[in-house]
Amino acid sequence: MVSEATAGRLIRGVWYAPQTSRAVEASLVLETGGRLTAQDEAGAALASCEFSAAEVSDRVGSIARRITFADDSVFETGDNDGIDRLLAPVAKPGSGFVHSLERFHPRLALFVVVVALLAVAIYRFAVPVLVEVAVLVTPPVVPVLLSSSTMATLDGTVFEPSKLDAETQKNIADDFRDLASVSARGSDGYTLNFREGGHIGPNAFALPDGTIVLTDELVKMANDHQTVLGVLAHEIGHVDHEHSLRQIYRAAGVTGLILLIGGDVGAGVEDILIQGSALLQLRHSRSAEAEADRFSIELMHRTGNDPLAISRFLELIRDKLGDTSDSDFLSTHPATPSRIEETRRYAEELMAAATD
Amino acid sequence: MGTPLQLDEDMDTQDAAAGAPPRQSMRREQFTFSGTGREYFGIWIVNILLTIVTLGIYSAWAKVRRNRYFYGNTRLAGGSFDYHARPMQILIGRIVVVAILIVYNVAATLDQRIGGVLGVVFLLALPWFVMRGLRFSARMTSFRNVRFDFTGGYGGAFLAYILGGLLTWGSLGILAPIASQWMWRYTLDNLRYGDRPIDCDPRLEKLYGQFVMPAITFVVGLVVVIVLGVTIFSFASGLGFDFEEFSSDFAVAGILAAIYAAFLPFFLLFVLVSLLYSAGARNVALSETVIDGQHLLASHIGRWRYAWIAISNFFATILTLGLARPWAAVRMSRYLASVTMLYSAGSLDDFFSTVKQSEGVVGAEYMDIEGLDFGF
Repeated sequence: MVSEATAGRLIRGVWYAPQTSRAVEASLVLETGGRLTAQDEAGAALASCEFSAAEVSDRVGSIARRITFADDSVFETGDNDGIDRLLAPVAKPGSGFVHSLERFHPRLALFVVVVALLAVAIYRFAVPVLVEVAVLVTPPVVPVLLSSSTMATLDGTVFEPSKLDAETQKNIADDFRDLASVSARGSDGYTLNFREGGHIGPNAFALPDGTIVLTDELVKMANDHQTVLGVLAHEIGHVDHEHSLRQIYRAAGVTGLILLIGGDVGAGVEDILIQGSALLQLRHSRSAEAEADRFSIELMHRTGNDPLAISRFLELIRDKLGDTSDSDFLSTHPATPSRIEETRRYAEELMAAATD
Repeated sequence: MGTPLQLDEDMDTQDAAAGAPPRQSMRREQFTFSGTGREYFGIWIVNILLTIVTLGIYSAWAKVRRNRYFYGNTRLAGGSFDYHARPMQILIGRIVVVAILIVYNVAATLDQRIGGVLGVVFLLALPWFVMRGLRFSARMTSFRNVRFDFTGGYGGAFLAYILGGLLTWGSLGILAPIASQWMWRYTLDNLRYGDRPIDCDPRLEKLYGQFVMPAITFVVGLVVVIVLGVTIFSFASGLGFDFEEFSSDFAVAGILAAIYAAFLPFFLLFVLVSLLYSAGARNVALSETVIDGQHLLASHIGRWRYAWIAISNFFATILTLGLARPWAAVRMSRYLASVTMLYSAGSLDDFFSTVKQSEGVVGAEYMDIEGLDFGF
């Protein structure tokens, strides 16, 4: 207990000589002129230095405070309030700010709300902006390297050379060039590749540098020139909107943010968050599909092709692959029935507008 | 103080042998943890808030405050622990580690061969990161003004963290005690408190002694899960569910939900068994740890109680959208302190710090960011 005479000026605690574990009963005083001194029971000085040369540990909860003197000896005390009162005249302004925020107080409930709002805001607004910035500053060589390594991997593992006859290939390639020539990158900006799909079956996809792959199985399943073109227009849409780069950046950004608070939420919860963000990622990939669908309809319409081609293709998927579910929560592609409806509606709207 | 130890609060009183009865003259010093969920809640929410507001930069300061709170509230024989790392050091370490991870991921995405080579380099560098990380953490930790130090080398880390992991998984867990012997020997036997050595040599037969109960739990749990699964499945079939029809109707969502539902019991069983075993291994390792050739550590975790605390903490955190995390973290620290003690043969006054400089924060931050957890 601090005696009345020295209240606010003298703090009880223990003192350790430099690098030793022997605790000596001591008290701390701030002398006029700003000199800090640790003294023993008898009042003899154990250590002393100017306040500016001593180091006072930050206040964290109610753990012991440490004052390290210039000679590396340490005064330690649990009397946090006493230390703050004693040093108030000399302490740097703002030194106890973080601790004052941390005190148990109704304000903490406000912090909880702010954290929740900020988390949502970052996910909904800041991450998309950062993704756009990253896409803008990505040098063109990155998508090229990404694509060529993906293509090399797929060729080595899944794909076989296309077995379509030369005439079919040429017909598709010619019309593909027409579609490409009115798109953002021009006819040289996209490369069409024919492959036999192996176990990935009827499929088409786009890589970020404009490489587009069409499998023999898809051409056979569609069995209709316009339908194939509608799918290719959809893939051109993916390239023009840079969907794959965006997806990579978004996944990396969100994971990075989760890792930063990892130490505060614990390893188990961190894993759950990362898994959860992967599920939410599917939502973005669904909106990317819808965007590419609309792109296909517009491009087909503009080039005098059939804007309903992509809807017909979706109907084919529904009929042949049995994708009839209305639930789209866990899939990368929107549920086919709603997608068919949406594409059909948009195509008819465009055509109606054109005839007006 | 001075009372014979009696802390077997649980049914699994495995500890008659693990806590070798100390000599009569020894004094029992109990570890205590004095933090509270109420107090830590403020520190925790401000850490998260400022980390978000500063786009992650504050996370270095947050780590220091968090560690100081937990170390500072851990007390033994009238003294407390402290954590001395400087936020700026941590921040630089984090930036370096994030840069390394970005370069690695970019290279691996661009070219799989480079990615493969870097993967091997990373695997070989991992023990080095672990070694430096343990050294940094030890040197940043003090008890009664005296710093710890860590003298382990690359080889031991390779054995404990690379070979040990391979051994555990490769043998489906049967050789896990060998791996945990390497791990505890590496982390504790290489630790020094000030100028004095710490010896830790957990014996293999004792570790295997801790292996029996979790192994039986695993086998029994497996049988129960499989029998229950088959029963439910055949019951449902008997009612006339056509599973082919079922899965195509509910498409992706249904199939995924079914997969999760089928794997969840196995996953929970695996987590439970890992918790039971690691608690037993900690009991063995700490109880065979001697400081300065005379002070004995002892650990008496109740294995089922420990598993219950860990699992209920996890679900409490999830169900409260994270808000119960401070309470959960404090609850675990409090329990671990309450089952850990030191039998001191004499005064704890005569230790001297020998460590004055420190480097190697990159290793510590690598471990932190990659979620490797050691906890002295």
